[in-house]
Amino acid sequence: MPELAETYACVPSTERGRGILISGDPKSNKVLYTNGRSVIILDLNNPLNVAIYGEHAYPATVARFSPNGEWIASADVSGTVRIWGTHNDHVLKKEFKVLSGGIDDLQWSPDGMRIVASGDGKGKSLVRAFMWDSGTNVGEFDGHSRRVLSCSFKPTRPFRIVTCGEDFLVNFYEGPPFRFKLSHRDHSNFVNCVRFSPDGSKFITVSSDKKGIIFDGKSGEKIGELSSEDAHKGSIYAVSWSPDGKQVLTVSADKTAKVWEIFEDGNGKLKKTLTCSGSGGVDDMLVGCLWQNDHLVTVSLGGTISIFFASNLEKAPLQLSGHMKNVTSLAVLKSDPKCILSSSYDGLIVKWIQGVGYSGKLLRKENSQIKCFAAADEEIVTSGFDNKIWRISLHGDQCGDADSVDIGSQPKDLSLALLSPELALITTDSEVVMLRGTKVVSTINLGFAVTALAVAPDGSEAIIGGQDGKLHIYCITGDTLKEEAVLEKHRGALTVIRYSPDFSMFASGDANREAIVWDRVSREVKLKNMLYHTARINCLAWSPNSSLVATGSLDTCVIIYEVDKPASSRMTIKGAHLGGVYGLAFTDEYSVVSSGEDACVRVWKSTPQ
Amino acid sequence: MAFRRANASSGMGVAEHSKSMYMELQRKKVFRYVIFKIDEKKNEVVVEKTGGPAESYDDFTASMPENDCRYAVYDFDFVTSENCQKSKIFFIAWSPSVSRIRSKMLYATSKDRFRRELEGIHYEIQATDPTEMDLEVIRERAR
Repeated sequence: MPELAETYACVPSTERGRGILISGDPKSNKVLYTNGRSVIILDLNNPLNVAIYGEHAYPATVARFSPNGEWIASADVSGTVRIWGTHNDHVLKKEFKVLSGGIDDLQWSPDGMRIVASGDGKGKSLVRAFMWDSGTNVGEFDGHSRRVLSCSFKPTRPFRIVTCGEDFLVNFYEGPPFRFKLSHRDHSNFVNCVRFSPDGSKFITVSSDKKGIIFDGKSGEKIGELSSEDAHKGSIYAVSWSPDGKQVLTVSADKTAKVWEIFEDGNGKLKKTLTCSGSGGVDDMLVGCLWQNDHLVTVSLGGTISIFFASNLEKAPLQLSGHMKNVTSLAVLKSDPKCILSSSYDGLIVKWIQGVGYSGKLLRKENSQIKCFAAADEEIVTSGFDNKIWRISLHGDQCGDADSVDIGSQPKDLSLALLSPELALITTDSEVVMLRGTKVVSTINLGFAVTALAVAPDGSEAIIGGQDGKLHIYCITGDTLKEEAVLEKHRGALTVIRYSPDFSMFASGDANREAIVWDRVSREVKLKNMLYHTARINCLAWSPNSSLVATGSLDTCVIIYEVDKPASSRMTIKGAHLGGVYGLAFTDEYSVVSSGEDACVRVWKSTPQ
Repeated sequence: MAFRRANASSGMGVAEHSKSMYMELQRKKVFRYVIFKIDEKKNEVVVEKTGGPAESYDDFTASMPENDCRYAVYDFDFVTSENCQKSKIFFIAWSPSVSRIRSKMLYATSKDRFRRELEGIHYEIQATDPTEMDLEVIRERAR
């Protein structure tokens, strides 16, 4: 049975113009964030150690550890809050439908008995505080008219709650049971985040008007603000206090993070500005931050997590990144089997190294979206949603020049002859385009709707699969294709075809959940009845010595079959990726890498028998 | 004087020796499995193949034709969690999706009539492809 060896986590999903809220547990040094329907628990000491919770039915927005670290409360866009255990397999304690719209922020009370949640909704239902185990309301929160972006619980008694939102207001509530006390309208734009200091004496609000204002924790009166010299030049999206309550970290759309010292009188003075190196585009805007123990964690719009060290602010940060969206294809470079390239449809190609984790992003000069992706030794070929095929040369970690070819209509599938990567075959609706280098050598109209294709490693043969489930085998002579045989066994449109590395067999998978292994020379079925998936097969991979075939499907499972044994003796990995498995590759005989809709890449190792 | 009560909607009868083969499997454990076929000419269910007690589940699945429907009875031996040896009889209606429509209709309408003859079946399984007849599935049902 293959065991999970490594997970390369996804990064928090971000949205332009809004901040995100990440939280953590100082005791175990873990950070919590969300991506799609998953909540990710990342260990700051060891970024390869991630746990993922995927039980939300709607995209999750924010998650928080309880003060004792035993429970996590997470919320999603449907207004539901789920409370589940940190250990013990994430068993669900309770689920409540709290607001009528999406929840933007969530906080536990310091004794872990109450939770306040704020977000979108109508009228009264913009903020709610309730008991964590029974869900009974502990107060009435009126005073806001628009989306409430953030809320905070005073960490010391007497309990107070502060909320702030898109109506530029900062509201202060006393309780329990919580009642409106007073409101401030000092900001002139959306108030993005409000946080109490750890000792409860002050709270700070930051806003898109580039200001940060400090208020007294007990009375709610304004006492000072962050100094305007060296202030941020863009909207401030998030704020976090240091554990001793004397400093705050703010992050802003001007791509910098600033550390301020807060004095007793309530004014703040800039201590240091932190910048992260990046390509300088919109992706470097910082949208989230967290100060935990000695680490200052900042998250950028492009998903890069930078970890600075509070004890040594000059030191360069540790940068982690990953995918934010569905990882649609994977490739393992033959020259370096430890290196894995993954690409997602938004055009991001990330390089991972087994055992180390994130290694870097492949920065291409043209950032188009990627639908199909193939990698040979020195080259990457990609096709997107425009009609172009890009050939990018790869030198180590850097992308060299890119050449593009326009082929006239949108490419559906793409295949490279691995031993002579000059030759590439691309299918569009019912045609095949043959490419040598960047020259379109010929365009052949096939007459049937094409859905999948594969080219033999030496470029002599091609197999094209159609919508009707028939496999057409063509011999490539010069610039033309000559049809040699038609194989009919599949009962659904072909989705993927792959040759085995030793060229003796090929395997095909279809939309009807079936995969078949064929002998290449005799064109006879070698292994059939590989019908164990319950939904369409998305991807297929061969092990390097051609003895194992792995199939990944929309039903989130990866099944590994041995070609010499009957299909019933298979190894199944259930729930490999929430949402479906889209990319598969073998790195060596015993390790499979899979990627999927949850934007994560996972490495599975099976013990040799 | 076998009174053949042929009141299946397909007009199918059950041959005497089909029932007696089944009784042998059930009472005396002479066979591991029995595979039944519908003989269209004689319009009744007859025994196509039997397997000795030494044969395994894989032999049984190998004897099922890929493109045609069958009825089968399999005697499954297993050990429960409390460590007692148990044996359950499974009735399998094998109706692969690749077989002809006429075949599927025939076997489907006659199944009820045939099953009534066989007393002592513990579990029934309908399989439309080999994965549904997998040993894992049988094991799960037996628990």
